[in-house]
Amino acid sequence: MYEVLMFDGGVHKIDELLDLIEDLGGFVLQRTQVQVMITLTIAIPAEDRPLIEKKTAELGGKIVEVPLAGTEIAVIGPTLGRHHMPHPICDIAEHLRRYGAITIVMGLARGRGRKTCQISAAEKAIIEEYDAAIFMLGNFKECVTHEKIDLYKDIQIPVVTVIGPELESLPHCEALVCGVGRKVERMRRSEEIAKLEEIADRVKEVIDKRRKEIEEDPLFVHPSEVKDALEDMGAVQECLRPAPVVLHVDGLRVKIPYKKHLKELEELEVYGRKLKNIATISDCRLGDSTIIRIKTKAEVEGKVR
Amino acid sequence: MEFELEGTEQYALESYQWMLERILMEMGISTMVERVRLLIRPDQTLFIISMRVKQSGSKRPVYDIADMESQEGGTFVTIKDESYAPRLLASLWRLYGRERVQQLTRLEIFVEGVPKEDLSDMKLDPEEEVRSQLLDAMWRLLPEGLKLRNEYFNDNVMTIVATEHGMTVDFIAEAQKVHANMIKGPEED
Repeated sequence: MYEVLMFDGGVHKIDELLDLIEDLGGFVLQRTQVQVMITLTIAIPAEDRPLIEKKTAELGGKIVEVPLAGTEIAVIGPTLGRHHMPHPICDIAEHLRRYGAITIVMGLARGRGRKTCQISAAEKAIIEEYDAAIFMLGNFKECVTHEKIDLYKDIQIPVVTVIGPELESLPHCEALVCGVGRKVERMRRSEEIAKLEEIADRVKEVIDKRRKEIEEDPLFVHPSEVKDALEDMGAVQECLRPAPVVLHVDGLRVKIPYKKHLKELEELEVYGRKLKNIATISDCRLGDSTIIRIKTKAEVEGKVR
Repeated sequence: MEFELEGTEQYALESYQWMLERILMEMGISTMVERVRLLIRPDQTLFIISMRVKQSGSKRPVYDIADMESQEGGTFVTIKDESYAPRLLASLWRLYGRERVQQLTRLEIFVEGVPKEDLSDMKLDPEEEVRSQLLDAMWRLLPEGLKLRNEYFNDNVMTIVATEHGMTVDFIAEAQKVHANMIKGPEED
């Protein structure tokens, strides 16, 4: 089982750490260097963490927990109008990034209103490409409990609902955070930051639950191992989009066109097997990207026999 | 600023009061608002907001704030009250166009082809700008989904009633009642 951590320190003797990660069979997921300071997001076998901690101490750096690293989360508001953007939707998205998640912000085309709010099948399909979704539903209890819950009723990924009024529970969602309604300014007061922390905690719980479910029937390879193989591809190296390969809990998003690179992706070798045999490769609903869902060990080995 | 809240959900009322205060503060017009009434009934999808603006002096004629002198080809204006300078210049630009209005110095303006009498009759409304800003603040506050809106306004009170599906006679009557009460003032409610 891989554990994702973040190293924060200087560049002095960083090669020693990189060598150690490689020797342990780990991966560097993201490397950000600013002058002499460096931040590395790494995936290492969980049992080897003490070795990394020892090396980090030697180099004078520190290890930061990034519980949401390796996830991509959608923060969804009723619309992208100025009534809902940028606060609090962007505040939530930005806060989750501090825990290592890659977040996107999405507004529904017809999500505003009480009886008139709608979500389309295409929007649902886009949302389902992410690991979890956060829905912001506003200030009116009557509106949330009677109408807005229908927006995420059929969504197949875990949903965290964020609303203004205090409620005990809401149907169809994995977690509920109350006390964050519409905002007209940045969430920077201590009580608002506490609410952002609460949202991050709920998301962490939801993601942990998802990871545990996956562990029951583990993936054939960890997504970071596929990422390592993908990074040798010319198309990925030439991709100028930020973070060309994004890890998901059960796969990856590669920001290269599906139709153009399908053959190449299918033939990619990971531990002696072709990617098409160990993963499902599909077109992404949004932009020129490809979604790779890694099959479980049972699925892959069952087929081989 | 005095708030009156009425509705079925306390959280919604308080949060909308808070939001309006922040919007007005951000726009720098908090001091212009005297009284606000919010009526929110989410179960009926009804949102009414009424605002009463503080009286900040009546319209002033141009001869009161500037000296005017007829010259060949136009009128020469020397502004006496500096606080009205931007508003006067903006009004002249709007009425006669930028080509005909020349700002010679900070307080001296030459208006081409306009007789002195025409300028003397002009009146400047100090609240015009504030009213448009207040309307903007109310539109920012109103929930995005409530697209059916009716507006009522007189000199210093503005009321908007908003709903989603159908504007009923009852909603309109309620909004007119709120509007009338705001015009009368708190003591006569």
